[in-house]
Amino acid sequence: MLLPAHAYVRPGSLDDCLIALREAGDAGQIVAGGTDVIFNMRLKLFRPETVISVRKLRELQDIEPLPDGGVRIGAACRLHDLTEHPLLNGRWPAFTDAIRQLASRHVRNMGTLGGNICLKTRCWYTNNSAQWRAGRAGCFKTDGQLCHVIKSSDKCHAINNADTPVILIALGATLTIRKVGAERQLPIVDLYHDDGLHNLALDVDELVTHVTIPPVDDRTVYVKQAARKGIDFAIGSVAARCNGAGEWAGKVTLVLGSVSTAPIVLKEPAAIIESSGLTDEAIERACDAVRDELGEVTNLYSRAGYKKQVARVLVRRALQRLREM
Amino acid sequence: MAREIITLTVNGDTREILVSDRQTLLDVIRDQLSLTGTKRGCTTGACGVCTVNNAQGEAVLSCLTPALEWDGESIVTIEGLEQNGELDAIQTAFIEYGAVQCGFCTPGVIMSAKAVINAHPEPTEEQINAGMAGVLCRCTGHIKVKDALRNDHLIRARSET
Repeated sequence: MLLPAHAYVRPGSLDDCLIALREAGDAGQIVAGGTDVIFNMRLKLFRPETVISVRKLRELQDIEPLPDGGVRIGAACRLHDLTEHPLLNGRWPAFTDAIRQLASRHVRNMGTLGGNICLKTRCWYTNNSAQWRAGRAGCFKTDGQLCHVIKSSDKCHAINNADTPVILIALGATLTIRKVGAERQLPIVDLYHDDGLHNLALDVDELVTHVTIPPVDDRTVYVKQAARKGIDFAIGSVAARCNGAGEWAGKVTLVLGSVSTAPIVLKEPAAIIESSGLTDEAIERACDAVRDELGEVTNLYSRAGYKKQVARVLVRRALQRLREM
Repeated sequence: MAREIITLTVNGDTREILVSDRQTLLDVIRDQLSLTGTKRGCTTGACGVCTVNNAQGEAVLSCLTPALEWDGESIVTIEGLEQNGELDAIQTAFIEYGAVQCGFCTPGVIMSAKAVINAHPEPTEEQINAGMAGVLCRCTGHIKVKDALRNDHLIRARSET
């Protein structure tokens, strides 16, 4: 089974890559590990005319400690290599722990950090073969004008199923985004839009080149629920962070992933813990407050009621883990 | 459809192969090199039967990687484990512990197991689980596969003496 026709470009430098990306315009697609892009091309979910490989670009491979105690990671670093990195394991253990929970070792041997950050949103309708999809009308992602998940909706409700964005938002990471002649910094939380079709705040000629994680001394944890934990995408995942020790907790951050089109930063549950600490009673009140911030939860992959319950339980587990740290 | 000649070392044998940009590494291994031990399963990264080892001896999925990406690289497929008519220790372990039933997944399972052994000659339970989670066997299950992996070093020691 051959891949759909496309031109495969392997630029020798980042500058050449950015030029190729600009020339390709709408019909261009960046690929690194291939575990998401090649799979979606097989499903004929998108048919790029030009596929631009960044896998071997030297500029995107470095893991560079910064003077302020942070780190700058090249977007084409393989996920597995990050889990083996002593500096990352030592200073941001929740980050490497999140990556270890991501897919299987086989996929982590190929997939890259940038690829996971820019992972396409997923849905039970679109993530099937073209022949299977032909049995129903097309949706927003497949040249149609409806969403099979919420029929009355005017936008795509596919889910952001990636693991690394959830923990990187909690860690306050910043992305370096480049295009020909320009570079900008974007907090990773602002990368994600609540629209499954155009879920990334990236122009077609822009490329995520680096991820900068600031120094973090706070307690951090990442918990994930999946059907088979060794390989599957999450049903829900929570990254939690706070300072202090034991039940005393300040500056609480709670991020929920894989339940919606963009990761959700949970505000009220975090505020409850900040004002009352990590007591059993406060944790229960924080869990009660989760449901109100989920927005429209879809029946995608699992029932909405189940997902709300998963979100609640994951927040409880994450907060309990923080208390023990 | 653009075609290009790539240099690929397969099981120690360096070849120049004419590949198209529409082919994956799996297509080249099976259809052009006729090394049909490596299987085509889900082609979406879920089953792991297309697993081969890269130059570092790690398990990678040949179905999800364009062939052009492998220009100048080196891979080992299931056919490359046997040396001078002698099976690799991990293959012997699979036979002795009955870790095979229908056999379809076996090349992918063995190449994944080989990657575990390459990284950890005497793997722990956790290392076995992490390394083998990406391959699925639907008939014999994973218990005997894990038995084979746990005892691979004994068989290696036996063949070395």
